[in-house]
Amino acid sequence: MTSFDRNSSRRNAVLLAALALALPELVHAEDDATDAAQPAGEVRVGAALASGDPRSRALFGQYNGLRDDDFNLLLDIDYAKRDDATGTWTRFTGRNLGLDSRELRAQWDRQGDWKVFGEYWSLTRAYPRTINTSLQNPGSTTPTVSLLATRGTGTNLDLQTERKRATVGGEKWFGPHLMLEASYTAENKDGSRMFGRGFTCPSGAAPAPTCTTMASGVNQWALLMLPEPINSTTQQFDAKLTWIGERFSVTTGYYGSFYDNENGALVPTVTGNLNNPLGNPMGVGGGVPLTAGLRNILQLPMALPPDNQAHQYFLSGNYNITPSTRATFKYAYTHATQKDDFLASGLTGAPAGITNYGGVVDTTLAQAGLTARPLPKLSVLASFRYEDREDKSPLALYNIEGANRFTNGTYSLKKTAGKLEGTYQLPQGVRATVGFDYEALDRGQYSSPECIDLGDGPCVGDSVAGITALRAKTDETTWRAGLRRAMGENVSGSITYSHADRDGSPWLKPAALPATGVTEVSDAAIYNRTGIFPSIFMNRKRDKVRAQADWSAAEGLSVQFTAEGGTDEYSAPTEKGLSKTGMRLYGIDVGYALSEAWMLNAYYSYSEQTLDVAHSTGYIAKLKDRNSTAGFTLKGQVSKALQVGADLYYVNDRNIYDQSLDSAASAANVAFLAQSGGLPDVTFRDVRLKLFATYAVNKSNDVRFDLIHDHQRLNEWTWGSDASPFAFSDNTTVSLQPNQRVTLVGVSWVYRFR
Amino acid sequence: MGNPGKYLHVFAALAGLVISLGAFDAPAAEPRKDLVLKGDAKCTRCHDADSEFPVLAIGRTRHGTQADGRTPTCTSCHGESEKHVNKPEGAKERLKPDVLYRGAGASGIEARNEACLTCHRTDTKRSHWEGSTHATNDVGCTSCHQVHASHDKVRDKLTQSEVCFACHKEQRTQVAKPSHHPIPEGKMGCSDCHNPHGSVGPKLMKRDSVNETCYTCHMEKRGPFVHVHEPVAEDCSNCHNPHGTTAESLLKARPPFLCHQCHTPHGGNVAQIAGQGQPSSMLSATTSGKSGINYTMARGCVNCHTQVHGTNNPSTTNPTPQFNFR
Repeated sequence: MTSFDRNSSRRNAVLLAALALALPELVHAEDDATDAAQPAGEVRVGAALASGDPRSRALFGQYNGLRDDDFNLLLDIDYAKRDDATGTWTRFTGRNLGLDSRELRAQWDRQGDWKVFGEYWSLTRAYPRTINTSLQNPGSTTPTVSLLATRGTGTNLDLQTERKRATVGGEKWFGPHLMLEASYTAENKDGSRMFGRGFTCPSGAAPAPTCTTMASGVNQWALLMLPEPINSTTQQFDAKLTWIGERFSVTTGYYGSFYDNENGALVPTVTGNLNNPLGNPMGVGGGVPLTAGLRNILQLPMALPPDNQAHQYFLSGNYNITPSTRATFKYAYTHATQKDDFLASGLTGAPAGITNYGGVVDTTLAQAGLTARPLPKLSVLASFRYEDREDKSPLALYNIEGANRFTNGTYSLKKTAGKLEGTYQLPQGVRATVGFDYEALDRGQYSSPECIDLGDGPCVGDSVAGITALRAKTDETTWRAGLRRAMGENVSGSITYSHADRDGSPWLKPAALPATGVTEVSDAAIYNRTGIFPSIFMNRKRDKVRAQADWSAAEGLSVQFTAEGGTDEYSAPTEKGLSKTGMRLYGIDVGYALSEAWMLNAYYSYSEQTLDVAHSTGYIAKLKDRNSTAGFTLKGQVSKALQVGADLYYVNDRNIYDQSLDSAASAANVAFLAQSGGLPDVTFRDVRLKLFATYAVNKSNDVRFDLIHDHQRLNEWTWGSDASPFAFSDNTTVSLQPNQRVTLVGVSWVYRFR
Repeated sequence: MGNPGKYLHVFAALAGLVISLGAFDAPAAEPRKDLVLKGDAKCTRCHDADSEFPVLAIGRTRHGTQADGRTPTCTSCHGESEKHVNKPEGAKERLKPDVLYRGAGASGIEARNEACLTCHRTDTKRSHWEGSTHATNDVGCTSCHQVHASHDKVRDKLTQSEVCFACHKEQRTQVAKPSHHPIPEGKMGCSDCHNPHGSVGPKLMKRDSVNETCYTCHMEKRGPFVHVHEPVAEDCSNCHNPHGTTAESLLKARPPFLCHQCHTPHGGNVAQIAGQGQPSSMLSATTSGKSGINYTMARGCVNCHTQVHGTNNPSTTNPTPQFNFR
């Protein structure tokens, strides 16, 4: 042994002795405490390999950024550090950094004093269907349509939109009572989405000869798939100043939101001929090739969303009148405008002298609430809310259909809502609640339409078409009752029931053209057996019931039962329109701690939603959606180093389209429904298995293995089938691989640090 | 044996080790130190890292930032709990803490929530907790939040919905449908639209109304437009179910059935799809485009009435933008 070795050995021995003397505290307190008290961080780096191709990952990969590429980088980071002396945090998180849908956040703050942060968030939404088309410049504002000779031989087009959002913000305390918060968010949305246009000749809006062949009198129609070009930016600025007192807090602030669209109008060009309804070029089997009239209409500009902005100023807060009596309040005023220049957007033909819509909507909101405990066992709640949306946009003569002339439509709305509720503590742990809700909507402009007097005939107002009647006011009252009870320490349950009645002011009948406006009439006078009364105006009876029970069946075993149901019954002076909707759901959730190391969760729920709507032409649709959803999760610690988990998830959804006919149906509809059997069911099934295993190599390093297998099946008729596709007039078709299987395998290394 | 001195350091080390091992059982010579919170020594003498009820991870959270004088102690949330700390003589079992948040013997909802609201009632995001749906339905703060965990599931949008679905079962079935917001993918959380701590809007909407909340991401729908579609301006949820649907675009029902709840269908033909053997009266080379196929398939009624959210097209002449929403 050298001198150095000896010295070293002695030094080590002394250190060991000193260390050993301190061992108990270190082991039992400071190590653990230090570990526990210090924010931790970790980095995950790995790779994932996905099976199949983008088409077979279309449903799975709608949002998660895993649709396009077989090989994906897995990169997540979570870093947190706290300076205990000052309470200053530094935090950095990054998630999905290797994918399109990534997000980052950095934050630096001294707790209770100041905070600054920045965020980046992106999301790619891949439209799951694939378009086969001959469209040129798809996704631009000037696409060109040309007839694809044979369906399915065009270019495959996958639409997607990408959002990229950046936020910066912060807060600052000025003493213990005053705080300022501010944030600014800018988001760019880019890409294209499903869109299109269609037209049939002739129509009330385009009577012959506008688009009917004058020579032959042939009527034509066409439907075009034209992706909507999207390139817009939104900005949101939020600033709040809050004063916090002993018994109250009050916040005043400003929220501004701004929408800026780079695209003003979509102006397609249609070249050559298009197909007729049988899928042959127009003129084959009857009629003539695409007429100039219809072509011109198909090439008219289509307005894209205009730039707009809104500024809101508000005051809100709460006040503790007594320790058990508290009030909340808010007042907000919003000034929204839309003054996008028509010509700059590529939109022509505006009324003389009008360069932009000049849209103004001012909204005033006032809210107040009070909760109190007048008796030890009684608590009460009262609240009131008033919202006045006043559309101050100027009226102008925007529609001229031959002799019929109309203004634009503005939409003002006043909503008044109130709530009263009392909860009483009954014996045996039962709490009973009774509540009353009231909501009134006043669409005042229907009863006294503004109009323009041109001095050459009747006062001109908005056009009301396609519906039988309007209603200025509706009001709804709701009664609620509920019981909650904890039955011993192991069982608790609740049941609530509510009944709501919606009624309204007399119906308003639109004037016969060319006059405009509405006339108030009685139910008897406006009764129309086949009339369509918009569902938002109809009388409605709503019943809802919900029951839930939680049962701690044994040590570590909890079971939850849920049942809920409800119906809406609509009525109006008609036998048609929306008549009834309903829902019911039953569910069970189980959580079981098999041991200290193993945990199991499972759930199953069955639900049904129904909708009955009857149409003026004699057919009745009873729609029903049946859904079963189940999940099973098992997580456990196989050994000190090995943790594993499995997650099985199942959805089975069936939409049933039950159509029948009444005596008003035409003979052609009766015969057709009899031979076709109506619309097929739409079914969706998803079975997803997720497995993971994490092996702790040492205290700081893990290896993680992930496997996801997803099998989705969507059988639906929206875009047809391979045998009978829906084809646009240029032979564009849209398809979705109905049976999609994806297996994703990921391996990653996790490094934890402090 | 050689030079015994060379073993002195080994002996010294072993002696130190023995002394230190003895200290495991020896009574503490000095009062125990707080580990993660102010005054936590009387709790952490039992609730250490190996405790059946581990609590030390709170040190990693904002509650564990001792430099912030507002942060709580164990007893400010759980009460002094003297009979829990010092088991009374003769008692068979140690009594529960004064305020217990989970499991058998959990304290009443008001006691539990008051511990949190004492500090958090004045937060701007919680200013409307009193009277909110969750408050009046006895939802406890700890029903959703894991105060002692360094990773609180409900504050991470990747895992947040799992917490919400513990009660909201219908929404759990809906987000599983093919048309959904990216909630299962973890790109959105329930709290992107809802403020579970109370709001002025309906359904605990984050903004003051359903539409204002939707506009935060879908501002292009706000208008106002030259030609407004009134139910759209009134409430997006008249047509959309934001939690998920089988129909595209989160529509509550597939067109034309959705639209027919308010509008008269035109064409007079029953809803139908291609390939059903339509007779020539319904489908021919010159049949009107208002046949059932064109308002049932593809985008349904929106095939022609394109800008169903409203259009800003000012053209005054036929065919009018209002009619087609183009």
